[in-house]
Amino acid sequence: MLDRELKKGSAELIILSIVEERARHGYEISKLIEARSAGQLTFHVASLYPLLYRLEERGWLQGRWIEKAGERRRRFYGLTAEGRRVLARQRETWKSFVRAMGLVTGVDHV
Amino acid sequence: MSDWSGALRQRLAGLRLSPAREAEIVEELSQHLDQRYEDLRADGASDEEARRAAAEELLDPETLNRSMRTLRQANLPLPREPGAPAPGRLGNVSQDVRYAARMLLRQPAFAAAGIVTLALGIGVNTAIFALVDATLLRALPLPDPDRLVMVWERTERTPRSGVAPLNLIDWQERTRTFEVLGGMVPNVGGMVMAGADGTAETVPRQWVTAAFFDALGVKPIAGRTFVPDDDRRRADVVVLSEGFWRARFGADPGVIGRDIRLDGSPYTVVGVVPDAAQLLARTSIWAMLSTHGAPPAARGAYFLQAIGRLKPGVTIDAAGADMSAIADALAREFPTTNTGRGITLAPMHEAVFGAELRQTSMLFLGVVAVVLLICCANVANLLLARATTRTRELAIRSALGADRRRIIRQLLTESLLLAGIGGALGLAVGTVILRAAPAMIPQGLLPTAVTLTFDLRLVVFCALAALVVGLLFGLAPAWHATRIEPAPALGAGSRTATSRGGRLRAILVAGEVATAVLLLFGAGLLLRTLLVVEQVDRGYEAESVLTMLVDPLGSQYPNDQAMLQFYETVEHEVMALPGVRSVAWASTLPLGPSYFGRYFFEVVGEAAPVESQRPAADYQIVSPAYFETLDLALVTGRGFDDRDTSASPAVCIVNEAFVRHHLSGRSPIGARLSVRPSGAPRAQPVVREVVGVARQVKGRPDETEELLQIYVPLAQDPVDDIFMVVRPTTGLAGALAAPVRAAIGRVDREQLVSVRSVMTLEDIAWEATARHRFRAILVMAFAGLALLLAMVGLFGILAYSVQQRVREFGVRKALGAGTREVLRPLVSDALRVIAAGAAIGLASCALIGQLLDGLLFGVRPLDPVTLAAVPLVLLLTALLAVAAPAWRALRIDPATALRGE
Repeated sequence: MLDRELKKGSAELIILSIVEERARHGYEISKLIEARSAGQLTFHVASLYPLLYRLEERGWLQGRWIEKAGERRRRFYGLTAEGRRVLARQRETWKSFVRAMGLVTGVDHV
Repeated sequence: MSDWSGALRQRLAGLRLSPAREAEIVEELSQHLDQRYEDLRADGASDEEARRAAAEELLDPETLNRSMRTLRQANLPLPREPGAPAPGRLGNVSQDVRYAARMLLRQPAFAAAGIVTLALGIGVNTAIFALVDATLLRALPLPDPDRLVMVWERTERTPRSGVAPLNLIDWQERTRTFEVLGGMVPNVGGMVMAGADGTAETVPRQWVTAAFFDALGVKPIAGRTFVPDDDRRRADVVVLSEGFWRARFGADPGVIGRDIRLDGSPYTVVGVVPDAAQLLARTSIWAMLSTHGAPPAARGAYFLQAIGRLKPGVTIDAAGADMSAIADALAREFPTTNTGRGITLAPMHEAVFGAELRQTSMLFLGVVAVVLLICCANVANLLLARATTRTRELAIRSALGADRRRIIRQLLTESLLLAGIGGALGLAVGTVILRAAPAMIPQGLLPTAVTLTFDLRLVVFCALAALVVGLLFGLAPAWHATRIEPAPALGAGSRTATSRGGRLRAILVAGEVATAVLLLFGAGLLLRTLLVVEQVDRGYEAESVLTMLVDPLGSQYPNDQAMLQFYETVEHEVMALPGVRSVAWASTLPLGPSYFGRYFFEVVGEAAPVESQRPAADYQIVSPAYFETLDLALVTGRGFDDRDTSASPAVCIVNEAFVRHHLSGRSPIGARLSVRPSGAPRAQPVVREVVGVARQVKGRPDETEELLQIYVPLAQDPVDDIFMVVRPTTGLAGALAAPVRAAIGRVDREQLVSVRSVMTLEDIAWEATARHRFRAILVMAFAGLALLLAMVGLFGILAYSVQQRVREFGVRKALGAGTREVLRPLVSDALRVIAAGAAIGLASCALIGQLLDGLLFGVRPLDPVTLAAVPLVLLLTALLAVAAPAWRALRIDPATALRGE
């Protein structure tokens, strides 16, 4: 597992990236993070949902209850226009951070 | 699967989440845990293992709570403890507003009816307020408008006579109360402006004295205004209006100091002034009229309108005393011209807007205020009706401890919310009306200074209107609601319809119907008048005739001979055009304005009448072909022809009314009239022999007194500014406009610029009836609005009556009642209200007929056709109001209705 601090700072970026292509519900988000990080990153209920609610309060995500025939209604989270802008900005910051770390530490991240 | 809600709620405890939000979170998180459990089971874990692993997602008992604590949703304001101090007022208000919005949304039809009613009422009031604001409230757009005074000379017979230039100069020299006195020629004329590229156009121009702009207090935005030196040099200088400067010269500052050619002479542009200077007359150019060194005869030429600016702190009474003393002195010095000539002063605001316009504005405001009151009654009605259905809700709230003030506030919030939305829409309605109004208001009805504009004042008015209206219609139902006794209201359920409010509501609606009937009747009378006026026999037969004003340039045609020659050449050129049947010239057109006005006449050989009762007739100069061109029949005698020249004996043709009034009992042909302009009573009269009698034409479409006319041949009294009249062989005259202009251009290219007012006789007739049309449209609009409101009111009570009686209708239907039986009580309710309102309204029709009598023409104040049509219109629209509630009543399903409680 990566460093705890690093995860905390990048958690927002991770969640925004996960819902970038389409709206997803909480469980799907947590599974995708786990799968895409090959098990390196996991979010539990107690940390994932407060984060989702916070991003929603900031206006970066929008949650909607969606009902499908024969299923329980679920809350889907999608990017807002503002969220899309934030994601683009955070990606840039992240890239330059990684580049800078590479230059300073000599660690090759690419 | 497990029930996670206990564990989740425990972890969420202590956060101040709203109950609804907490439920959502529990639902969402439970789902997550359930799915985790199921996935683990699918991977082969036992029930026990899966349950434990899923529970681990919640980590330690503190994590969820800690990460949620900083969220906004977890920090809702504390609920109010009994006995605790009241929370912030605003929080409570927003709660009230939210609740009110929910209540409105729950009954969209009710909300829509109320909002539309208010939007219309407030919208009309806003539009009329714009008029009142422009005419009554707003100060003139000039510096220190209170110091601006209009000055007239006064004689015994005319309190507001023109001012002679020499008198104006003496006033300026001697006054101790006026800072400056300026003058203007009231009529705006046209000047032909030649452009560098050879094009030319006619530009509105007003003559003003050098001090004119100083008196108004207008400062130039470029260059300067006139100075005394311009006057002394008798300079040919002009000032441009800002709009004209921008449109014609692209706001080029280089135009200052340059010469422009006006009527063939060079004038120097000295400056540009803001359009506010057009307050007294709409013009593009102000040309300086030099009064310096005017001959002594100019003391008898009363043609100026004087404007004075008082010294600071001087009252108009003090100025009056000052000016009277000066007038007395002048009368002693110049007894021949100034004896008996005093001074009249009036504040400029009053003079510009006139008492009549201000009264009209107030009258309108009164009418629309009544309309707004009807709106209030309507909405109050809807609210009262709803209040009865809400009895139970309010009783519960009051039983739960809501005090009376709290309930009143809640209900008032609902009313104000309704009024607020209505007001916002009303503003939009008002804006639409204001945008459409200029096209409908006849020219000349409003002075140039009146501009109906949309601005912040209107918004403020709208907001205030909405507030007052909201309180007005909200108070009664709110008060009514608080008098509910909780116990009986709760016990009885909502089954009992209170008939107490019902009667009041029916009376309100009947009153609305009566008002609508009255206004409909008035509108009907005005509409009938309009129809009569439009179909009036104009006297001439020609169907389509083109007319245009031609004004030979003084520089090109300096004398009568040259002018007549020009007219004749143009006439030949136009006659040669294909499709032209005849061409003539006339100084006045039927139904058009009279250019020469009335001339005094006496029948030679009869006793001369006393001077104050000298008869006068409309004086019209025409070419010989005029009667043929308009297809205006000559009853007896001959028309004009080539025999009637300036050298031959003076002749004239009179019309039928003239013969009836002044030449009855004798042969009109051969009678001799002594004729002179009424504007110059001392002018030498011309004796003319009557050679023919023409058929009567209308001077105005609604004239009550027959027009007396004296036609004079053009050759014997040549004038400039004359209408050319062209009649086509077939088809519409409008098509001839371009070829006729081209023909004039072939005669004199430069002259083309003076051609204006290109219209057909049809256009002129249309304009002549514009005032009637405007009045009819205006009153019809109000009548339509009143009718609409009355029907909304009717709809309101019927709809609620149906809602109240759902059970009753259900029972009736269950017992086998058919359509007829179900509808009977509803229709009889509606009929009672309509009949009562219509009876009151129709009984008062005599009154409105009397009031409108002066505006009617060809229709009696108690016109039977209108009297019959009004109830018909009323019944037809009432059908619409009844249809929806009736439809609802018919669709009531007995089973549902009986189970409903």
